[in-house]
Amino acid sequence: MNGVRILVIATFFVFVLMTPVVVASGNDSYYIFDNELQVNEGITIETSIHIEVVEVKRIPLERAKFRITSYQRPERMITVFKEDGPQANRYETYSGASIYLDVIGVYSDSVQFRVSGPSNWRVTDYYDVDPEEGGGEVDEAVTVPKLKITRTLDISSVQQGQTAKVTFKIKNDGNGTASEIELDEPTIKGAYREGCPTTLDDIAAGATERVSYDLKIVDVEPGTYELNPTLLNYKSESGTSYSSESSSNVLVIVAEEVLAPELEIKLTIESDDDVIICGERFSVTVRIDNTGNATTGRITVKSHLPDDVRVAGGEIDPVYESIKPGDYEEYEVTMIAYEPGKHVIKMDVLWADEEASASAEFWAERSGFDKYYIYILAAIPIVLILLWLIKRRREYSF
Amino acid sequence: MLNILVLGIGQCGNRILDSINSEAFGGNGTFAKYYSNQKFPASVKTIAINTAINDLKGLKYTLAKDRFHVPHLHGVGANRTLGKKVFEDNKELIMGEIDKRGSFDLIFIITSTAGGSGSSFAPRLVEELKAAYNAQIVCIAVLPFREEGSISLQNTAFCIKELIEEKPNGILLVDNQYLKKYAGDIKSAYDKINATTARRLLFLIEALNSEMLMVTDLGDLKTVMNGGVGIGTMGFYESDNGNTVKATILGSFKPSGLLFPANVYTEGARAMLIIKGSKKYLDLDLINKTIEELSTEVGQVFKGVLVKKGPAKVLSLFTLNSIPELDRLYASAAVAIRTEKVKREESKKQLDNAFACIEELEPIY
Repeated sequence: MNGVRILVIATFFVFVLMTPVVVASGNDSYYIFDNELQVNEGITIETSIHIEVVEVKRIPLERAKFRITSYQRPERMITVFKEDGPQANRYETYSGASIYLDVIGVYSDSVQFRVSGPSNWRVTDYYDVDPEEGGGEVDEAVTVPKLKITRTLDISSVQQGQTAKVTFKIKNDGNGTASEIELDEPTIKGAYREGCPTTLDDIAAGATERVSYDLKIVDVEPGTYELNPTLLNYKSESGTSYSSESSSNVLVIVAEEVLAPELEIKLTIESDDDVIICGERFSVTVRIDNTGNATTGRITVKSHLPDDVRVAGGEIDPVYESIKPGDYEEYEVTMIAYEPGKHVIKMDVLWADEEASASAEFWAERSGFDKYYIYILAAIPIVLILLWLIKRRREYSF
Repeated sequence: MLNILVLGIGQCGNRILDSINSEAFGGNGTFAKYYSNQKFPASVKTIAINTAINDLKGLKYTLAKDRFHVPHLHGVGANRTLGKKVFEDNKELIMGEIDKRGSFDLIFIITSTAGGSGSSFAPRLVEELKAAYNAQIVCIAVLPFREEGSISLQNTAFCIKELIEEKPNGILLVDNQYLKKYAGDIKSAYDKINATTARRLLFLIEALNSEMLMVTDLGDLKTVMNGGVGIGTMGFYESDNGNTVKATILGSFKPSGLLFPANVYTEGARAMLIIKGSKKYLDLDLINKTIEELSTEVGQVFKGVLVKKGPAKVLSLFTLNSIPELDRLYASAAVAIRTEKVKREESKKQLDNAFACIEELEPIY
């Protein structure tokens, strides 16, 4: 019976091969296959994509169930309804190319369907599926492992030089033991995996395995990185190859934090319009902030004042034992500028072998009285003489 | 210290008083009053009195408070009759102003005899001051230029007469007509006469108020001024250091040094000589000898010697027994009065004749 069937199919196959495939639709897809297959028959496209008819049903809706396997892709079962249309059922291959399945007609034990895809693809083989090997819904018990892998990272953000712990949770949802499990884990350039296995022990049906390794961030520039999916390749007890993959993860790598104190010094002169009156007192506020991430040691402040600027009150060069990160010290000094002109006050803060400087400048002006002091002095005798003259003139005016 | 009051009455008196105040600044020029103070040789109070306010305004060296305006428009117009009435009307004011200065030992009244205010006020002032103060009163009467006119002459005549009637302690004459020949133009003559009079008066005041080597004092002045007819004048001479003190004394007797034309040797009644200079120029024996010689001609001569740095200077003060120049002046005045009277009668007659032309006529319109 099978021999006859094979003969018929072969004849039909030769006929089909000799018949050029025509693009049937208005779009750019090319019909790689457009014919009828019986249940448990399959075709191979480009030697790597296997499409097998698993089941056909006409009631309530006409449909056919296909098993599709391809390189580096797990097995997939697709049910295609006659009404779905040519573009409804897509299958993406490992290379990224897609093919589409479209059921034209469903019969009692066969289905007419089309496979469209890249124009240079061809059907490279027709074969019959041994119900025992083809899996699917055969009456005999077939053990098929089905591994589901989930990858998690203990932290989503990791500093340079630190380590992230990566954990795989692998669960066998199939009914067969998965063996020869190979774990293909991608990595980030500059990061090194410590204790990451490449093979795993067999996982029985329903069992769950957890595997961890340390991802050490050694020489990776700070930024956001995507950790590509982990690929699991395994085989069933019958030797059939399968694969599954995890979802991708995002890992943020931040710059390595160096613990060191960092001091900033700031001078604020309290004056109107930055103008100081010569001889008058003015306040200068000095604030030292620890903007670093470590507590400082002993801190010394050293001032550099112009010759004609003197301290009138307060300690200008204090010493502090330490300043905690985020904390600050502030003090106020009263000064007097004696000469007019531009003045610059410079102050250094010294800690460990580091130092920071700040300067503030201001204008000193003579007061209104000082400015005209000479003129007033000169005017006084003139005014007195004038007053005297006026007095004398009045005394002699009749 | 002597308390002396100097009153300058009328325009002439005001100006001589102003010169006295100017000399009190040391003769340091127009601006001295702005930087210097007056330095009188005694306690001297000055008051310029006038009915003409413009004359008072024209003064430069007299303090405003020392200028007293007798309110009567702008002067009395050389009318002595009106002047006397104004004085009577304002007597209380004038005496009240003088009274503010306190009491006095010696009062000088400087006035022109020819004007209105001064010539009419001066005799009345003498009367009032004699009644009010126990002080010697000496009038310095300035005689006018003879060509000034008949009113000036008649004012002079009556003023001197009234002054003598009021019997002040003395009248010292200053004759503009006489002094004019020693100056150039009228303006210079006035200035020089005023300055000369002022300097001699201050010299006299200084001498009377100073401790002298040979003493003359206010009593001597009174005695001298009582001599003769009570009228006199002043002479002055300054040595050029080559002269002896005798020559200097005799120089002050020369007509060129006198303020009024007189022959001291023949007309002098009494004299006072005040000799001032460095001790080296003051030979007391020679002074005494010279005074003795003069006394035989002039009569009583009082002397005072004041030692002060500088060349020898002599101020001579005389009273006269006879005053020929005054006779001439009164004669001129009488002629002038009569002439004025005749002219006035002729004018009146002429006017009456003119009016007679329209007598019994009425204006027709």
